[in-house]
Amino acid sequence: MTGKLYEMTANLGGFVTGIFAAALSLFSIAMRTFRGVFRFRGRAQGEVLKQMYLIGNRSLIFVTVTLGALGMVLVFQVCLQINKITGDQSQVGPEFIKGMIHAFVPILTAMMLATRVGAGIAAETGSMVVTEQIDALRMTGVDPVDFILVPRFIASVVMTFVLGVYAMVIVIVAGAFMAHSSFGVNYNVFFVFDKVTGGDLFIGSLKLIVHGGAIPIVAGYCGLTTGRGSEGVGNATTRAVINSSLAVIIIDFIISGVGLLTVQKI
Amino acid sequence: MSIIFKDVHRYFGSKKVLTGVNMSVQPGEKLFVIGTSGVGKSVTIKHIIGLLKPTSGEVSVDGVRVDKVSEKELFTIRRKVAMVFQASALFDSLSLLENVMLPIRKHLKLKDAEVRKKAMALLDEVGMLKHAGLYPSEIGDGMRKRVAIARALSLDPAYVLFDEPTTGLDPVSARRVDSLISQLATERNAGCIIVSHDLVSIFSTATKIAMVYKGIIYKEGPIEDFHSSTDPVIRQFLSGSSSGPMETPGF
Ligand SMILES: Nc1ncnc2c1ncn2[C@@H]1O[C@H](COP(=O)(O)OP(=O)(O)OP(=O)(O)O)[C@@H](O)[C@H]1O
Ligand SMILES: [Mg+2]
Repeated sequence: MTGKLYEMTANLGGFVTGIFAAALSLFSIAMRTFRGVFRFRGRAQGEVLKQMYLIGNRSLIFVTVTLGALGMVLVFQVCLQINKITGDQSQVGPEFIKGMIHAFVPILTAMMLATRVGAGIAAETGSMVVTEQIDALRMTGVDPVDFILVPRFIASVVMTFVLGVYAMVIVIVAGAFMAHSSFGVNYNVFFVFDKVTGGDLFIGSLKLIVHGGAIPIVAGYCGLTTGRGSEGVGNATTRAVINSSLAVIIIDFIISGVGLLTVQKI
Repeated sequence: MSIIFKDVHRYFGSKKVLTGVNMSVQPGEKLFVIGTSGVGKSVTIKHIIGLLKPTSGEVSVDGVRVDKVSEKELFTIRRKVAMVFQASALFDSLSLLENVMLPIRKHLKLKDAEVRKKAMALLDEVGMLKHAGLYPSEIGDGMRKRVAIARALSLDPAYVLFDEPTTGLDPVSARRVDSLISQLATERNAGCIIVSHDLVSIFSTATKIAMVYKGIIYKEGPIEDFHSSTDPVIRQFLSGSSSGPMETPGF
């Protein structure tokens, strides 16, 4: 009995210290990335541009198709319901646009990038661990975080923002098209932006920027803690997708809450 | 002036890889570390440059306890002790020339043009100058190894660790690597530690051999001691026979 209890306590202890150690190492990677961004020098500019191109290239069609379709489906459903009640479609456009900008598009774009970009960063970093390139970097006196994560961090923050703005355009245009073609809503009535406040724009942008930064940090952590062999790289990639998506959801929740209590009008 | 291991233990979780390693290397010596796959040869030499820390025991380089110092303080050790990694470990995102330039730029405070010149000279020495602009993924294993050697020698190290430098090389290139190691030891008085399975290179080049077996240095001594040894485990390893007393992990 005591033996079993002891074992359970020991397991729990190991679990808790494990989580604590992981949190600490994630925090250290985040801090080193921020410091690296401030010390960033021109030499790695090419790498940043290359990463920006890769992120854009990997995600553009994905974002266009997914958000375009979602925009149409959402507007279709909303208009359908309204038709059953009042039939007044004049508020669909303004409310839809507001919701997209501060809530819907930031989290969806970020979730999509978490799978694409997160997996890519974890796989690359993980294979550098397995092929001893990380060891070789440490030998050279270069912090692996500076070398690998900093350019990807900058590229991801910029591109998540750019893709997010692009996604907003796509989703709104797709929604307007659906409202017009299926329910005869006039474009002038749909494209009304006066519901969108400065607070909405601020929260929407803040989310995109923070998500864009969180993805490479979480994915980089997963890659740098890769286990041995190609199996290790596979695990790291899976962990990166799950954990960076989870990070995006939690961060989004927090920013939404704080936003509603402070700068936003509901 | 030497590299010294004192009763080094290294465990990974419950897996005990090293259980009391003792060995030493002086400048000018060529110590070959031998042993079966997975026995812990790479793990052993990574302790010298602080890439791994011992679970217990001491590792020192010229009197500095590398198991005690921080990552930052290891910088000076890593300038003094170079390593050629088992899989070359060239940086995929950099060209061959940039690969060789990186440690020079980080460790020596030189102007960019000088860094480039030095790196080109090193690539020339290993016959890779004409491929300087290529990327690691564009060349074969043997060529990568040569670039890795050029990169390791870029800081005029006092000690060089080679992890299986001739594995995967054709016999001619392999003998070139052997003579390069001898040259390092005699002309520059560098201490070399070479992990190797290559019996030709061991018997033509070694001044000393250390055999890792069951977590310890089973035997360390000059090459003649191994030739004349009657120990069945050593005899089996050197003859490469599949039957004998030797235990091989994984089989
Ligand atoms: N970071 C690590 N985490 C867990 N286990 C490890 C780690 N590094 C090495 N090991 C284990 O330690 C043992 C020795 O590995 P090592 O790479 O030193 O073998 P080796 O003697 O160099 O073999 P080879 O000739 O195949 O290169 C192996 O069983 C390996 O699985
Ligand atoms: Mg090895």
